[in-house]
Amino acid sequence: MLVVSDLVAAYGKIEALKGVSLRAETGRITCLLGPNGAGKTTLMMSIAGILKPRRGSIRLGDTELTGLSPARIVGQGIALVPENRLVFPQMSVLENLLAGAYQRGDKAEIAADVERMYDRFPRLRERREQLAGTLSGGEQQMLAVARALMSRPRVLLMDEPSLGLAPLVVAEIFRIVSELNRDGTTIFLVEQNAHMALQVAHHFYLMEQGRVTFSGSPGQLAEDEVIQRAYLGARRAGG
Amino acid sequence: MDFYLGLIQIIGVHTLLGLSAYCVLHTGQVSLAQAGFFAVGAYVAGMLTVLAHWPIVPALLVAGVVAGSLACAVGFPALRVKGLMLVVATAAFGEAVRLFFFNFNYQLERGGFHIGPHGGEGFRQIRYFPEYGWSTLEVAAFIWVVVVLTMAALWWMDRSRAGAVLRAVGEDEVAAQSSGINVTVVKVSAMTVGGVIAGIGGGIFAHYTTHIEHIQFGIVLATFAVAYPILGGLSNVFGTLIAVIFIQGFLIEGLRFMGDWRNLLFGGLIVLAMNVRPRGLIDAGTITLVKRLVFRSKERASA
Amino acid sequence: MIDFVQNTIDGVMIGASYGLLALGFTLIFGVMRRLNLSYGPSIMIGAYLGTLIYVQFSAGPVAVVVMTVLGAVLAGIYVERLCFAPMAASAGIASMVSSFAIWMQLEQAAILILPRHTYPFPPLATGAPLELGPFLLRIDHLMMLACALLLSAGVQYVIYRSRFGLALRAIIGNPVAAHLVGIDVKTSVMLAFAGASAVGGIAGYLVLAIDQQVTPMFGMWATMKGLIAMMIGGLGSIPGAILGGLVLGVVEAHSLWHFGPQVRDLVAYLLLFACLVLRPSGILGDAPAAETSIGRRSA
Repeated sequence: MLVVSDLVAAYGKIEALKGVSLRAETGRITCLLGPNGAGKTTLMMSIAGILKPRRGSIRLGDTELTGLSPARIVGQGIALVPENRLVFPQMSVLENLLAGAYQRGDKAEIAADVERMYDRFPRLRERREQLAGTLSGGEQQMLAVARALMSRPRVLLMDEPSLGLAPLVVAEIFRIVSELNRDGTTIFLVEQNAHMALQVAHHFYLMEQGRVTFSGSPGQLAEDEVIQRAYLGARRAGG
Repeated sequence: MDFYLGLIQIIGVHTLLGLSAYCVLHTGQVSLAQAGFFAVGAYVAGMLTVLAHWPIVPALLVAGVVAGSLACAVGFPALRVKGLMLVVATAAFGEAVRLFFFNFNYQLERGGFHIGPHGGEGFRQIRYFPEYGWSTLEVAAFIWVVVVLTMAALWWMDRSRAGAVLRAVGEDEVAAQSSGINVTVVKVSAMTVGGVIAGIGGGIFAHYTTHIEHIQFGIVLATFAVAYPILGGLSNVFGTLIAVIFIQGFLIEGLRFMGDWRNLLFGGLIVLAMNVRPRGLIDAGTITLVKRLVFRSKERASA
Repeated sequence: MIDFVQNTIDGVMIGASYGLLALGFTLIFGVMRRLNLSYGPSIMIGAYLGTLIYVQFSAGPVAVVVMTVLGAVLAGIYVERLCFAPMAASAGIASMVSSFAIWMQLEQAAILILPRHTYPFPPLATGAPLELGPFLLRIDHLMMLACALLLSAGVQYVIYRSRFGLALRAIIGNPVAAHLVGIDVKTSVMLAFAGASAVGGIAGYLVLAIDQQVTPMFGMWATMKGLIAMMIGGLGSIPGAILGGLVLGVVEAHSLWHFGPQVRDLVAYLLLFACLVLRPSGILGDAPAAETSIGRRSA
């Protein structure tokens, strides 16, 4: 279980996270919804170790993750599919996948995993020698997910996987998210697309202006209400 | 006393050199060609006073115009490239100018002597100031009049619309372009103004040292020119002045007693300064801080 | 015609040394997209240490090579720690200015190690040049050319076939993503710096062994020649570095023959300026890679 408690992160004097606490239960899909600028990406980057939080703790099981380098955090079994995908544009699809397995030494197992990824994402097999920068947005998203899975994570973090993608592709991505979860991966998902997210999530949080403002399971709150708050924030939406 | 006057002259001339790079830096461009423009100014002004017997002020103005025109001409092709490519391109141009003067011979015979630029041996006997009986103090005062005028002009420019346009281009070229600014014109203008200032500075340099040669205008001087405004910060012209005083006054002259060890410490201190203040000694934060201090003390005084 | 061919041959041989210098530069520039003006001076530190053990203890060629490379690597790491590791990705100019300051420091350090202006450097190979019809080929020149080709092939292999190379290319592509896949970015960058300095150290050794002397001007010379060759060949391209070096060498040899030594350097700089303006990505470089800005859109 991934547990975030009382996390404070800031850019200079501006606090982006003002004491955030939440948890992603093992084997489930947890979703974090909220408007732009709520601090969702800051939270993801803090968990992955790219940003150093001011205060608070992030624990995976019994291991404290705050203060560890991003590389060590990957070693602990956390992989982030970042916002805007951030594939390695000048490297081939295959090389992107191999980079995802950077910390692993088992060559045969890595090759087998690459095959597994190709089975799961057939488009990647077709394009394995192509430079990642030349892929379409949806294909890059598949690649980013596959690359993250190559480290065999216990927890998969996904930051806005549907951003800028066509509806059909979005549906495909969420189908894969459920599938991965069914195969045993814990998933912590940040989304703006509340409708899709609520269909797959077991549990969800609402975040506004650096604070968690709601925690519950889908159905506990009317979808209209969730969408309004996820896009606009409660303070403005409620008047 | 003469030592200090000499130092004041050096600081003045280097401030002009730094300000010429400051101009260009505002548009987000790092130019290592400033030493080249400085060299052009030095040779042109020297030749005008020595060979053509011009008075100093018109000679300096022409030196500025020639260096500025060259900068303008270089600006168009050079600004096609960006970032580090521009650094290297301008460095190459600056070195080419230096090597041009290394090969440049134009000597006239005057009273049995050959005078004028003489290739690798340089250009000796630029004796305008001693011939017309200027004292060191007068020369120093003259230099600082030019420096103050330049700083005032740039200060005014910083605060005018022109300064805002330059900064806009420096901050985000695409955004500047989409808000209707002609980026090429702005960059080339900044380059030209920088060239003029460097040319005038070079002209003065030639006259107070009385002897110039190509090696003085190499990549080292070019890097100094850029280092001043970067170390001083781009928020206003005083940053450059302070950086020149810090480097020329403190690091070079002040540490002279350390002899051979000076350069070791020199390098270390610059690196330390860049590490502690990567945006320059004086940045926007410093200015707000000073303003706040001044403001507070006023409040206290009125309270 | 005979002169033309002989000049071209000489140019290729000298150009091989430029190519080697450019190879080290390409590694640093390719990974960090920053200009390390201290590249040449750190090679010079190695060369001075090599000369020191040669002059003081009459060390053999192997010891001199090892010392030169080791010294260059240590000086390179010193530069990386001070000028590159602590600076943010956006502060590229601060890094350049710092590396310039370190240049002065290293040059002074070299003068403190050995205060005379010129010191002897052990020769690489003595013996009569090979004669091919009317043309002459110096043996040490041939060895340098061979080294240049071998080393560039080696570097190419490391970058495109090894795990370390994969990490470096990932860092070039997107440093944030490189962190996210678990690459230790800081260590990898430092190792790239060390590797670049080692290649530079070998290049420096070969050049100096042919000149058989070393002066404090070597640092600046190495930085400028390496930089020009890299830029002509194309940023971030390993074959481009060698090719750029060869082109520079040949152009220099011909202008030396026709116009003399002073014009030679002038021609080199004009060539570089023209190359940058007309074809900023160089002969073999790819434009998008040259334009990649690192880490700006992150987080």
